[in-house]
Amino acid sequence: MEGFIKFISTAPVLATVWMGITAAILIEANVLFPDQLYFPF
Amino acid sequence: MQRVLVFFMALCLWVGVQISTAPVAAAEFSFNALVPCSQSEAFQSRLDTEVSGYQTRLEQYAPGSEPAKYLEGKIASTKERFARYASTNLLCGEDGLPHLISDGRWDHAGEFLIPSLLFLYIAGWIGWVGRDYLRAIHQNAETAYEKEIILDVALATKFMLSGFLWPLAAVKELTGGQLTVPENEVTVSPR
Repeated sequence: MEGFIKFISTAPVLATVWMGITAAILIEANVLFPDQLYFPF
Repeated sequence: MQRVLVFFMALCLWVGVQISTAPVAAAEFSFNALVPCSQSEAFQSRLDTEVSGYQTRLEQYAPGSEPAKYLEGKIASTKERFARYASTNLLCGEDGLPHLISDGRWDHAGEFLIPSLLFLYIAGWIGWVGRDYLRAIHQNAETAYEKEIILDVALATKFMLSGFLWPLAAVKELTGGQLTVPENEVTVSPR
């Protein structure tokens, strides 16, 4: 388990996971709020 | 050689001044050419073209079938999009498309100013957290480089969660003298 934690913590693996999360946030934001041309306020 | 350089610089300045004065007129002109999308005929005809395009495709499918449902959804979302753009003060060009105003005027701030400031804020957050993390792990020279490759996730998360206050932290560090180094510590090339 310790080895796995270390593997997950390495920069390339963590970067891949992080980019996946970022992509998911962007995709979901565009599904929930489509065609956002401007920032409503 | 010096004369050539002087001439070249004068030429650059002249061109620069010409460029920086000319587009102002062009920008004003194009801004006057824009109309609110709700009043734009080209915008309206774009809506009609898009919807009728979907309706032509819709006729090929049996009502209630999956492709028909998909196209009906497309028609609804297209109408909703055009209605939403028309309900704001978005400006449309002769092409019938909304043109975003990016010169910073407040009544169009949502189109460019606020998103751009948000971008700078998020970019600053990322940069600030990265800098804090690097400075923290370099306190211990033994593990410093190892922790650049195998991240100390707990430490990094701590910085990430407090990083949203980075503009305040930056001001504090600038006034406290931690953000910059003294003049005599800045390396300069031999002169």
